[in-house]
Amino acid sequence: MLVEFELIQKAQKGDAGAFNQIVSAYRRRILGTISRVIGRPEDVEDVSQEVFVRLYFSLEQLRTPEVFEPWLYRLTVNACYDYLRKSRRKPEFRMSDLSEQQVMMADAAAGSRMQDDEAERRRTRDTVNELLGAVSEDDRILLTLKEVEGLSLKELEKIYHVNENALKVRLFRARQRVLKKHDEVLKTMKEVTGPPSGSAKSNDKTGA
Amino acid sequence: MMFNRQMDYQNESGSETRLDQLFRAYRQAMPDPEPSVNFMPAMWAKIEQREKSDNWIGQFAKALATAALVAYLITAMVSPSPASKKNAYYNVAYRNGNYVDALVADHFSTLEPLHLDRISHLEAGR
Repeated sequence: MLVEFELIQKAQKGDAGAFNQIVSAYRRRILGTISRVIGRPEDVEDVSQEVFVRLYFSLEQLRTPEVFEPWLYRLTVNACYDYLRKSRRKPEFRMSDLSEQQVMMADAAAGSRMQDDEAERRRTRDTVNELLGAVSEDDRILLTLKEVEGLSLKELEKIYHVNENALKVRLFRARQRVLKKHDEVLKTMKEVTGPPSGSAKSNDKTGA
Repeated sequence: MMFNRQMDYQNESGSETRLDQLFRAYRQAMPDPEPSVNFMPAMWAKIEQREKSDNWIGQFAKALATAALVAYLITAMVSPSPASKKNAYYNVAYRNGNYVDALVADHFSTLEPLHLDRISHLEAGR
């Protein structure tokens, strides 16, 4: 835990300074999780603030220190759900106007291979967000917490209030749905980019 | 057949591995963002706003409860006393019933108790 339980107890008694310290300790982590779940940088702070506002009003219900972090994550998950469901918003990104395939085609046309780090990161972000954008909000949030945030099944159990087996089933199904989309994307990319350069060379050789 | 199954399995596990790698790369590509300087003030502004709206809702609920109590008391004062309920049957019959019900009610309301002495008088007269 990033803060002592005494600090939480002070905040429970209405100590604004103690609450500020709790927020300062957790806000980067919460901002990160929310940014990876909702994928809209301009709304990340807004949703994070909503999490801490909910924490402020529900803090007095907390009795044991062990459940603080799962509880904070639960508030985060609920805030993300609310955000994503409010208008059935799908994540949008800077490159969202172009699909992965279109980006690749555009790059190929420009003769660029996008080999620098930033371009590679952008491609990864777009690909994962395309995959997670194709599944439900439930699947998206669950997979992000497990696969990206690296939470254990025990931690997820406390957040979702379901047993480990039920979580495993849900995770398996969510992964299957993402894998299906992943294979579709790969197939489309292969069709767009054509055969690998090695085979083109060999064709040339045979042609010569 | 067995070869196909093995190929499927290899493809599947290959996809699984690629997906895991993709998720790891995604985590690295999206580090935790730095909060803006306005994060805390904006959060406290939201908390205060929520507190105000909660107070307003609380006051509204109290006012509503008071109004309901007053309305109940007025209704209790205006409503007919238990004594007048005796005539409820007739009133209902007159208001809602058909012609026969009204006649029956009318007859019932004017019916006097049976006087046995008068009957004996009649029998004596015969």
